[in-house]
Amino acid sequence: TVTTGGATIMTLPALQPRLLQAQSAGSAGSSAAAAGSGAGTSDPSRPGLSQQQRASQKKAQVRAFPRAKKLEKLGVFSACKANDTCKCNGWKNPNPPTATRMDLQQQAASLSEPCRSCGHALADHVSHLENVSEDEINRLLGMVVDVENLFMSVHKEEDTDTKQVYFYLFKLLRKCILQMSQPVVEGSLGSPPFEKPNIEQGVLNFVQYKFSHLAPKERQTMFELSKMFLLCLNYWKLETPTQYRQRTQKDDGTAYKVDYTRWLCYCHVPQSNDSLPRYETTQVFGRSLLKSIFTVTRRQLLEKFRVEKDKLLPEKRTLILTHFPKFLSMLEEEIYGENSPIWEADFIMPASDGSQLGHQTVISPAAVSGSPALAKGLSTEPSHLFYLTNVTVCSGEKRKLPEALTLEDAKRIRVMGDIPMELVNEVMMTITDPAAMLGPETNLLTPNAARDETARLEERRGIIEFHVIGNSLSQKSNKKILMWLVGLQNVFSHQLPRMPKEYITRLVFDPKHKTLALIKDGRVIGGICFRMFPTQGFTEIVFCAVTSNEQVKGYGTHLMNHLKEYHIKHNILYFLTYADEYAIGYFKKQGFSKDIKVPKSRYLGYIKDYEGATLMECELNPRIPYTELSHIIKRQKEIIKKLIERKQSQIRKVYPGLTCFKEGVRQIPVESIPGIRETGWKPSNKDKGKEVKDPDVLYNMLKNLLAQIKTHPDAWPFMEPVKKSEAPDYYEIIRFPIDLKTMTERLKNRYYVTKKLFIADLQRIITNCREYNPPDSEYCKCANTLEKFFYFKLKDGGLIEK
Amino acid sequence: MSADTKIAELLTELHQLIKQTQEERSRSEHNLLNIQKTHERMQTENKTSPYYRTKLRGLYTTAKADAEAECSILRHALDKIAEIKSLLEERRIAAKMAGVYSDSDPPRKTMRRGVLMTLLQQSAMTLPLWIGKPGESPPPLCGATPANSDYVAKQGDKVAARVKAMDGDEQWILAEVVSYNHSTNKYEVDDIDEEGKERHTLSRRRIIPLPQWKANPETDPEALFSKDQLVLALYPQTTCFYRALIHTPPHRPQDDYSVLFEDTSYADGYSPPLNVAQSIRGRLQREQEEMTRRRRTKRRSGSRGGC
Repeated sequence: TVTTGGATIMTLPALQPRLLQAQSAGSAGSSAAAAGSGAGTSDPSRPGLSQQQRASQKKAQVRAFPRAKKLEKLGVFSACKANDTCKCNGWKNPNPPTATRMDLQQQAASLSEPCRSCGHALADHVSHLENVSEDEINRLLGMVVDVENLFMSVHKEEDTDTKQVYFYLFKLLRKCILQMSQPVVEGSLGSPPFEKPNIEQGVLNFVQYKFSHLAPKERQTMFELSKMFLLCLNYWKLETPTQYRQRTQKDDGTAYKVDYTRWLCYCHVPQSNDSLPRYETTQVFGRSLLKSIFTVTRRQLLEKFRVEKDKLLPEKRTLILTHFPKFLSMLEEEIYGENSPIWEADFIMPASDGSQLGHQTVISPAAVSGSPALAKGLSTEPSHLFYLTNVTVCSGEKRKLPEALTLEDAKRIRVMGDIPMELVNEVMMTITDPAAMLGPETNLLTPNAARDETARLEERRGIIEFHVIGNSLSQKSNKKILMWLVGLQNVFSHQLPRMPKEYITRLVFDPKHKTLALIKDGRVIGGICFRMFPTQGFTEIVFCAVTSNEQVKGYGTHLMNHLKEYHIKHNILYFLTYADEYAIGYFKKQGFSKDIKVPKSRYLGYIKDYEGATLMECELNPRIPYTELSHIIKRQKEIIKKLIERKQSQIRKVYPGLTCFKEGVRQIPVESIPGIRETGWKPSNKDKGKEVKDPDVLYNMLKNLLAQIKTHPDAWPFMEPVKKSEAPDYYEIIRFPIDLKTMTERLKNRYYVTKKLFIADLQRIITNCREYNPPDSEYCKCANTLEKFFYFKLKDGGLIEK
Repeated sequence: MSADTKIAELLTELHQLIKQTQEERSRSEHNLLNIQKTHERMQTENKTSPYYRTKLRGLYTTAKADAEAECSILRHALDKIAEIKSLLEERRIAAKMAGVYSDSDPPRKTMRRGVLMTLLQQSAMTLPLWIGKPGESPPPLCGATPANSDYVAKQGDKVAARVKAMDGDEQWILAEVVSYNHSTNKYEVDDIDEEGKERHTLSRRRIIPLPQWKANPETDPEALFSKDQLVLALYPQTTCFYRALIHTPPHRPQDDYSVLFEDTSYADGYSPPLNVAQSIRGRLQREQEEMTRRRRTKRRSGSRGGC
């Protein structure tokens, strides 16, 4: 009856029965791991049978009934059809059997037997089943058994949340029997899979990621452990939301409750209730569920193995007792670590051959992912600055490079047609040439100096310092820290006059909160108070202020940059904050946005919702050395300026300006600007792959296509420009008129150098039409048909993806 | 002659003057040494003979003449510096006018606030120190010495100007004089803070000219505000003046005042002592007492959070 992969069962002969028993054991109070058995219609008299086995036994029994008996059984759950007014939704036996005879094959009630509740005969309740196939009857009977079991479960369950779900499923199945339909769990739960990649994929990735360098035999061991872990999870009974809240000390476990409900409906209940479609926990849930349950599950698992170690096969015993704890600890790091690659949708498995061995162990992932420390170290050496430029330039795109990336690799990954390194070095020499410096007046800033330039200089000279401090209850804080905390409390309460001082004090001195303090002359002049939620992957910024007479010096920016680097070090890559109206501008400058990417479930209940304040988020990029960023960008600008100057001195030619725009052309391809190719400019190769390279090929394709569109019966409204005499206000409403005649001319003039331009004009015809005309007008109908037609043609011609 | 070449010339002259000062010093060194030796000899002989008297008189006369010569060169050098500064100022005003009145140019780029603050600090730091001749009392607008009642601030001068803010509150801001209309007795001033980009037309009594010289605490202590005097002072890192009490006056020419700003958010009604430069502060007059004390440009970045 276990549907998990056979391989697992073979590798775990000893464990398997135990797992089953743990899952089945309502009586297994001895098993800590089983965590009770809520759904259990546990039957103490028959401890050997699982709930699932009992259910299927019962079903077999019912299905073996004679037809009349089956109908009686179904009649109990079928609406009375005697007349339209009868509201009775189930036949009730006027002679209820006594409890002891419940399971006995008793005589079927006669079809003429009246219902105890509505008085109509049983026949009236089951009339709809007359011509129903035996298979369907059996299916319905299965549901009946499941409904009865669920009824018991609802009764026995003590946990409110679980009880509610059982009751919901009970009602759902009843309805399905009534309507002879398939049960579908509806509502806001969503449908499986709930997260991708799923737990199974993540754990398999983990094995690949961490152990692929091991010898085959050891690798196999790890693989077995992962399979065992997954199997355990699939049969694990999750803690109830109430237990979860108690354990994690969180006021609100909404996210967990949703997952728990999903688990009940899709994974747990269907194990013994086959009317409902069943999914494996590890296949439909992903990292977020694992995050919520991992700590407690690990503890229970290890405890269970410890208790039952004598029952394990000897060879499995060593495997489990020696390797499993370590395995789980390593897995834990990947579950809670923010940077773990195993959860990335496009996780690329490193080659699992032996040649990878040394490589992976030598280079730690932190060192190659462009950590700030490394980047800073590099920036002192000019030849490496370009490495930094590469890193920061490509940081916008999602990280796809495998972790094992050496510095050399990073250098090699350079854009095609890039400037030769020698040239860059040469330019770098002229920039870093100390003789070229303007003098000692570094504090005479240019109007476009970076905001944090002064602060950075002051930090370098030791004028200001940054420290992350916090109160502690477990150990005695030193006096200096306590003085600084008082200083922070003063700065915050003076700068945030609308915050009650007591509230500020409470948070600044709360051991869960930390504050990044800005110190000048031994005194606190500013700081950012924050609270980290490592399990949720974000940090809340609570207070942020700089004392008034030290403002406008770039301290706020530098503070935030330090905070960002601190968080990258601690693997938290999201900041959330409620910004009041004065603070929104500041946070925007620091890279915060009102567009929140952290799923609501991750922060809901963790941070308070403030009226009149705006939730803002900042996503950190672990590759950016934030405190040096503006400096790096400044240097990059200098380099590029120098490169441009060089190029300009090489190519000296002045072209007459473009006149086509005055003649009404709205857009021309960049490559057609005279002289631009001579500068070495090349069209971006972003859409080169799909783009038809030969202009003549494209021209002919488009010409062909346009001819087909023009001959389409619904193209007539769009053949020529709209006449002002026919629609006087047309050109006031439609800003960019276009029509098929104009398009033909444009094609002839070789305007459509990319398919994009052509498709845009086609689409414009349609949108213009819809904008000017009412939707049910004949014109719009034509536009609809024509749009469908040309998209079909575009796909057909391979101009857009199918 | 363009301002640039003029400045270059003046710089060369200044350079020459500084060299001359050194020459002058080396020249008088010998005489000073002589005076010292004569005194030592008189000490050892323990008597003041007419010979020594005559000799010393002669030596001191020479030394005084030397010192005066050196002093005059230094004053000359100071004049050159003042001339360079006024040329730079003229050029700045011209550039500003051009920026304001020409439509063809792109709009003036707003300076980053931090940069504006640095510039203001620097201009405060480089305000010239008043060097009077012996016995000469400090002129108006030196340190705490007020301007004469008929004084009219020149174009480009920094003043404290009392303006109505958007919300109707009155406040003293740092502004720059654009023009003065003698018939209406009104000033046109620009808010120094370019964020405002506002021009105000204000009557004379709403304008306080700011000091043009620093007073030297060693020679002209009477030209400084004294402890506990109520003044208007530019709040650090802002372009607004607020009422403050002098906490400590400067001791040396380059020192700042330490002042206590009125601030109700502190228990005793005053902020902790803050340093403000000598220049950026005006004398508080009686009719200014009702001034509101709303802080302009004070950025209160704050964020609230849960617990």
